Parts: sequence; C-alpha cells; structure tokens
Amino acid sequence: MSLENKVLGLLNEALIVYRDSPRATSWLRNQLVRFGEPVRIAVAGSTRIGKSTVVNALLGEEFTPGRGFTWYRDGVRARATAFTPSGPQEVPVVRRDGRAHVEMGMWDQVDRVIVDWPTRALRDATIIDTPPTATSDQVYREADAVLYLMRHLQDVDLKYLQAAHDNPIARSSPINTVVVLAKADEIGAGRIDALSSTKQIARRYRREARVQPLCQNVVAVAGLIAVAARTMRPEEFTALAALAALPRAELEDHLLSADRFVGGDFPVVMDPSVRQALLERYGIFGVRLTATLIRQGFDTQVKLVTQLVQRSGLGELRDSIGQYFTERREVLKARSALLALDVVLRAEPKPAARKIVMDLERIVASAHDVRELRLLAALQCGRTRLPGALETEASRIVGGLGTAVQARLGLEYEADETEQRYLVADLLARWREQAANPVLDQDQRRAATVVVRSCEGMLSGLG
Amino acid sequence: MAAPWLDVLDETIGACTTHNRPDLAERLREKRARQLDPKLRVLVIGEAKQGKSQLVNALVNAPVCAVGDDITTTVPTFVQHAETPSAALVRNPVARRAITDNPTERVPVALDQLAKEVSAGYSGEVVRAEVGIPRALLTSGLVLIDTPGVGDLRSAHTASTFAALMQADAVLLVSDATSELTATELELLKQVITNCPNVTVVLTKTDICPQWRRVLETNQAQLARAGVSAKVFAVSSALRLRAAQTGDKVLNAESGFPDLLACVQRDIVSAADQLARRVVAVSAASAIQQLVAPLKQELTVQNTKRTEDTIGALHEAQRRVDELRRRSARWQTVLADEMADLVSDIEFDLRDRTRKILREVDKTFDEADPAKGWDSFEQWLEDNLTEAGAKNFAWLLDRSEWVAEKVAKSFPVYREDLLPGSIFPEDVLERISAIERPNIEKFTVSQKLFTGLRGSYGGVLMFGLVTSLAGMPLINVVSIGAGALFGGKSIKDEGDARLKRRQAAAKNAAQRHVDDFFIKFSKDCRDAARHVQRSLRNHFSTLAEELQETLLESARSARRAVQDDASKRERRTIEVRHDLDKLVELYKRVQVLGGSQVALGISA
Repeated sequence: MSLENKVLGLLNEALIVYRDSPRATSWLRNQLVRFGEPVRIAVAGSTRIGKSTVVNALLGEEFTPGRGFTWYRDGVRARATAFTPSGPQEVPVVRRDGRAHVEMGMWDQVDRVIVDWPTRALRDATIIDTPPTATSDQVYREADAVLYLMRHLQDVDLKYLQAAHDNPIARSSPINTVVVLAKADEIGAGRIDALSSTKQIARRYRREARVQPLCQNVVAVAGLIAVAARTMRPEEFTALAALAALPRAELEDHLLSADRFVGGDFPVVMDPSVRQALLERYGIFGVRLTATLIRQGFDTQVKLVTQLVQRSGLGELRDSIGQYFTERREVLKARSALLALDVVLRAEPKPAARKIVMDLERIVASAHDVRELRLLAALQCGRTRLPGALETEASRIVGGLGTAVQARLGLEYEADETEQRYLVADLLARWREQAANPVLDQDQRRAATVVVRSCEGMLSGLG
Repeated sequence: MAAPWLDVLDETIGACTTHNRPDLAERLREKRARQLDPKLRVLVIGEAKQGKSQLVNALVNAPVCAVGDDITTTVPTFVQHAETPSAALVRNPVARRAITDNPTERVPVALDQLAKEVSAGYSGEVVRAEVGIPRALLTSGLVLIDTPGVGDLRSAHTASTFAALMQADAVLLVSDATSELTATELELLKQVITNCPNVTVVLTKTDICPQWRRVLETNQAQLARAGVSAKVFAVSSALRLRAAQTGDKVLNAESGFPDLLACVQRDIVSAADQLARRVVAVSAASAIQQLVAPLKQELTVQNTKRTEDTIGALHEAQRRVDELRRRSARWQTVLADEMADLVSDIEFDLRDRTRKILREVDKTFDEADPAKGWDSFEQWLEDNLTEAGAKNFAWLLDRSEWVAEKVAKSFPVYREDLLPGSIFPEDVLERISAIERPNIEKFTVSQKLFTGLRGSYGGVLMFGLVTSLAGMPLINVVSIGAGALFGGKSIKDEGDARLKRRQAAAKNAAQRHVDDFFIKFSKDCRDAARHVQRSLRNHFSTLAEELQETLLESARSARRAVQDDASKRERRTIEVRHDLDKLVELYKRVQVLGGSQVALGISA
C-alpha cells in the first residue's frame, strides 16, 4: 500500500473516531479536501526581502503585492476572492500599466485573498505570498512546502527554520523547505559577476552543518531580474538596446549610481521617465547586466530573455520546486496530513484514538518516500558522495529523473514487465552488495540501504 | 597642529617651575602628554554584509580592510595614522586564554597580505589586525575600528564587541539602503547608545538603490519614533572609491562622503578637542590657584607689616597643615572601608547569579538526557555565564564610581578636578576554558542483551522450580515467559540507572565548570577592585600632597615676611604683585579656554 493510501485510510479512520467532535471533524474534512489539491508552496521571509518579487517571477506576471496572505491558484479566468470578516467577497482583478492589480476597494485590511489566475505555472502548485509578520508556525501550517528567502544566514533566519522543525514528525522529514538567497543582484554592490558569486555562497550554505538538516536545497535568485525577464516589453528592449549601443566607457559613467542614471544630460535622447521605469523594473544591476549581454551578442529579445532567466537563477529555482515539491506531491501532502492529524490527536486525546496514534507513529517511522527524498537532496547537494557511476545511478533509482519505474531504471524504450523485473533484480543484488561494502563509510552504506529499499519497492510494485 | 590650549598649558607649566613647585609642573606635564596622544576610537558596527569594511576603506580612500561577497571580516581591524603604510596582526598563541594573563604578540605583515593572513590563522588565535596609514583624517588621533558583523545580541562573540564599545568615543552604525532599519538593528542601536551616546547612522550602498531617499526618510522617522537622536547620513562607498581613482570632485560630492567626513570632523574630532580644552582648563586653573595662594598670603602679611599678625598667620598655616594630615586619615579610612564592602557585595552578587544558573541546570538535568543536546546546553551555559559576568562587572564599575564620589566628598577641600577621569582597568571580560564533556555512557545492544539475560535467568529458575513441582520440566512456557518479563524489567531498570548516572555526570561537569568560572571571574573582579582602589588612593594622595605643599609654602612665605627687613620687603612686594598680575592674566586665558567661570578670588 502506498504512503498516500495509508494516510488517506488513517484520515478516514480518524473521521470515524472523532465523529462526535464538530471541531475535529471539520478540521479533518479540510485536510481530506486539501489532500487532493495541488501542492501549496508558501514564499516566506523577512520584510523587503523580495517575497512578492519571487512570486511574480514564478507566475510570470507582475502583481501588486497585497497586505495579508495572497494565494495564487490555477483558474479558468482571472478573478479574486477576499476573505472578509463578513464572508468571502469577490473582487475584480484589473490590469493597469502592464501590472495586475487586485482591486481590494474597501476590503483593504483582509488577511487572506485567493487569486485565480490561468497560467501553466500554477497547474500543479498553488503559490502563497505571505506577509512579513507571519510566524513560522502560521506559514508552515498553511503550506505543504516553503521557499524561505534570506540575504545571508543570520540568527533570525536560523531560528525561524528551527521553529518550523520543532515537532517530531516535522523533524523526521525535513523535506519541505528550499532556502533561497534572494536579492542576489545586491551582493557585492551590484558588480557584474554578483550572480555567480552568490551561487558560490549558496553552494557553501548547502554544506553548512547548521543549514543542512533544515532544508532540501539552497539556491540563489535575483528576483528583480527574473521578473523583468519574464515580463519584458518590446519598448523596454528597444530602450536597453539603445543604451547598449553607447560607447562602453560613456555608459559606465552614467551607470555608476541610480541617481546618475536618471539624472540630466544623458548621452542618448531618452525620456527620464523611461529611464526611471527601467531602473524600477531592472535595478541598476539589471541595466548593467542587460547592456553587457546585448553587447555580447544576445541582441534579440528572445535571446536576451532566455539568457536573463538562466542567469537570474530562476531556472534552478524552478528545477528545485519541480524535483522536491511538485513531483513529490504525494509525500508532501501525506506529510501535511500527518502533521494535521497529529494536531487533532494531541488536542483531543481519547482512548479510541490509540490505534490511530500507533499507526501514525508507524507510518512516520517507516515512510520510505521521505527517506528517498532526503537522500536525493543529499546526493544532489553533495552532502553524500558515492564513488563513480554509483552516484548518478543512486539518484536515478530514488527518483531523481521521475518516480515511474521506467524513469527510475533509466530506460529509454518501453520494456515489458519481465525485462523490468530482471533489471530491478540485478540492481537489487548489486546495491545489496554496496550496502554491506566495508570500503564505504556509514553514511554511504545508509544511502545504499535506501536505494536497496527503493529497488525492493519497485519489485513488489511489478508484482 | 598646535592647539590653543597647548600654549596656555605650557605657560602654566613654566609658571609652576618658576614658582618653585616641581610637583605641580610634573602633574601638568603628565596631563599634557595624555592630551597630546588622544586615541579617538570610532567603532564601525552593524549587521553582516552591510558594507562596514567598504565604508572604512572609502573613509581613508585605501583598500585596508578586506571586502568580499561572503562573510569576510572575522576580527576587528584598527585603522590609525602612521607615517608609512604598515599592518600587523595581534595574535594570541594560546587559543583559549585564561583571564589573568593574556600575553599577546604582534606580528607585522605586508598590508596587501593582511586579509590572507587573518583568514590563515586559526579562529580565536588572531585577536585583531592593526593597520597604519598616512591620512590627514587620522592625524588627529582618530582610530577607525572595523568589526565583524553583529548577528546575535547575546553571543559571547558579540560580548567582545561590546567590551570594545565601552572604550569607544563614537560609533558609526552601518545599515544598507536596500532596506529600512530592522527590529534587530534598532535593538542594537539602543544597546549601543547606552554605552556610547555619540552614534551616527550611516546608510550605505545608495548607488544601487533608486529608493534610498525614501529609505532615509523612513529610517529618520523610525529613529524619531524610538526616541533616538542620531544623525543619518546616506553614502556610497563605491562612488567615493571610484572618485578617488579618477580624481572626480563631482562624483565625490555625489557619494555623500564630504558630509559624513564633515560630521566626523565636527562631532567627533572637535568634540574631543573641546573635551581636551576642558580638561586642560580645569587642571591649569587648579594649579594657578595653588600658585596664587602663597603669594596672596605673603602680600597680605607684608601689607599689615605687623609682626604679631604675621606670627598669627604662621600659626594658622601650621594649624591647617595639621588639620589636613588629620583629615587625610579619614578619607583613607573611607576608601578602604568602601572598597572592602564593594568586594564582598560583588562577590555575593556573582555567587548569587551563578547559583541561579546552577539551579536551572539541575532542574534541566532532572528530566533531560545529557546524551542529547549537550552542545546546545553548553552554548546556553556559556551565554548565561557571560551575561552574568558582564552584569556583575558593570555593577562593579558603577559602584566604583560611586565610591570615588564618596571619597571625594570626605576630602578636606573641594576642587574641580577632585574626581579622577578614569579609574577602570581595561579589558577584563575574557572567556574561560571550554566546559568538559561528561563521560556519557551509552547503553549498547550487547550490554542490553547481557543485562536481559542476567535478569531472565532468575525468572526462569524461580518459575521453573515452582512449575517443576507441578511435574513440568524446568524450561517450560511459564518459566520462559517469566524470564522474558524479568529480563525486560532489568533492561529497563538498567537503562534508567544509566540515565541517572549520565544526568549526575552532566550536573557534576556543569557544577565544576561554573565553579571554575566563579573562581576565575571573582579573582578577576577582586583584582579589578584592587586596581581601582590603588588608583583612587594614588589620585587622592597626590592631591593631598599638593595641598600640603601649598600650605607649607604659605607658611614659609609668612616666615620670610617676618624675617625680612623693610627695603627688602618693599622690593619683594613689587615682585609679588608682578607675579600675581601675570598669574591672573594666565588664569583669564585658562578660563576662556574652558568656558567655565570660577572666580580666582583676588583683585590684584
């Protein structure tokens, strides 16, 4: 029985046991509904760290940030619902000078808005923009997975993440957080190589002993550039191309500071308001970078956008979200449901629920999917290293390229069941050897054990 | 740079020498030396990655501090004036040093190798880096101190920053323009202000932030709301360094640095000058007063020309000398008593604080298993001890000041420089050795097995014998079941016993550590108290000696007046008047210097 089914069964069982408590029943019903929804990914972090910017970059649309929690989910047409004290209220979504606005009107202070927005990015994930005042507890309860934004590792950030894992279930499966070094464009005072240098810092944090057990991955993202790239307008490109056409020394002089860039006596005829808009959308670093890129030959809008998306770290962020969050929907959903169930069991303990408590513990202790996900992250971040080709094979078997048997085996053609079984059995034998290989250290042997378990899972799936 | 106060001070010293008072001259010379070498410490602090090092670099227009994208500054860097550019590392070969003796060594390195050398040293070994560089800004004795980023307000690492803060004359709090002041930054600012009120907030990186003006306004509003009256300056280090490369004056003005430098010059350097003038004025004035007293005595005596009066004056002078001797015994008693009280109070306070911590430890380990979470416990204990130490020490400083005031009150005469400027020893807050990890014994599987078997043996035998009466064999279902039960119980008992042992060991280790801390720190506090006592005694006895000398001089001149004949007396009177005029003139200049108005009490 898969993890998903086990958890579903447990939830239903709990519903029966708690049928006399209206509070618990409605809470559990909500969990059941939530179980079938796409993964909820919250974007959290301190004030002005760029939460809304990252959300916009993921959506590919510039939304004016709201005050409370803003949910973006897939919908047939653009509309928004504000949860006011007097019940849900539909509010219009309008576009004004290239940005999308949620017209809150008199509902300015509501703490939750749900925006339905038709876009491919939201097909298998609901994205939640959180207010800076939200506590780690609130955020982690609302969402199945969290992108935590920070500049540099500070005590505040560490405390936030630690608080999120201060629960036995959460601690045993720290698989739902990806740390994002936001504002990569402000590192090194906007030097042209700021992005690659931030990527190095991210690499260092991935191995940092204090960060490691709290997140799956650390990625660097320049939010402003990512948004600008995904929503670049033709007139902006024209303006940027005109800037790039200037002699380098002359342009550099005017790109020294933001004030200089929008100031008078500019060498090309360009309205100050155009320059101001460029500055707001791209930042001084973005203008520097795009001018350099255009000069290097990325001289059409398509080429430039591709290059910017890649450089801004957005691609890497999307890969991480895909690999650790959306593709692992079942595990994350199950984890959230188990946590929610735990809340009920603690809040209203009763003798009849004893079996559920034990089942819950058993699932948590034996959830192989969680261990698979941890190993995958460890292999990809370089926390665990295996010799030679074993490493790629291991990450493939635990689901690095997809969780279907075909993908796990790395087959490029349709193999029939007998052949698959034969292949899996071969893998199983080899990895069993590795799991007992005295040359490997303990960490590596443990990794091999997880791989063995994955093989066994496949084998039993094949019947 | 010859300050006006220097001339006045030199003249006063000259007057002291001509009036045959080498003791006063010596004291003033000491003051002169101290004022001539004023170290103005300006601390640059802030959270990590706000551009502190780059700010220091831009202030002196040279890459003296290492700048990087990741966390770069690990030790404080002192940037001060030197004729030729030089750099040195101050290292402490003993990584974790004891409190009492801290022998440090100074290793000169090449200026461009400094960053590499700092990171090459073991952490904790390099105490600080020192850079000397010829800059007009620094000639007035300004020392810029670049510090590692402050992340946590309570960690022991930050405690050393705060120890440095106590000696700082001014603080530049750095925050970058990409965001407003955060809650932690405001908290830091408040802490700083209690220690050093001369704080300036510097908003860096204005070049990359189009909205820095808005951030500046928000920050000012935030400061106003918090009730902090600190100036805020917006600067761009990148522009300033670029301007220095190209010699572009306009760009330099744009960088915002001229304003900041003017503020540093005005508020910090000239404030220090003001302070120097005040100190000089007070000590020079008191010296002149002492010079004037015997002259006045002589003059009055000669004016009256009556021998009986003169002899009366002589007696009077002698009586006052005796009185002074008698009363000086009193202030010495006061000083000794108060210091003894102080030491015992401080020790009690420290004992009380450490006991509270110990009680907390006991409570924790009554339940918690030390095998888990020992590291975080260690950190917690270290933090708490540091905090207790810091509070205790701050109290010691407070009380010492109070003692100084009390002694001053029981001093026979009032003088403006009665209270000493500084009585505190430098840098006592040091950390002590690491807490040793208690021997944590794990309950391994084989041990469990053994214990289980041992326990089950009894059960099997006991029930086996009983059931054998019923005709069953010795090993049967009942006896094996009982064996399993007994075995399980003894495993559990053994596990509990081991946990108890672990807890006891942890408590013991903590107790030992706290005791060590207490002994070392209380010794240190006692040393500090003794140091304070000694310096207070020296200070006040110097004052007493001076007073005595003045009185004796008066007596001597009175005697001279009695002995001298008329013509000589006439000439002497003119001389004395002339001297007095000169001193009054000098005194007026001194008063202009200090801005204070203490009448000399003569009209010659």
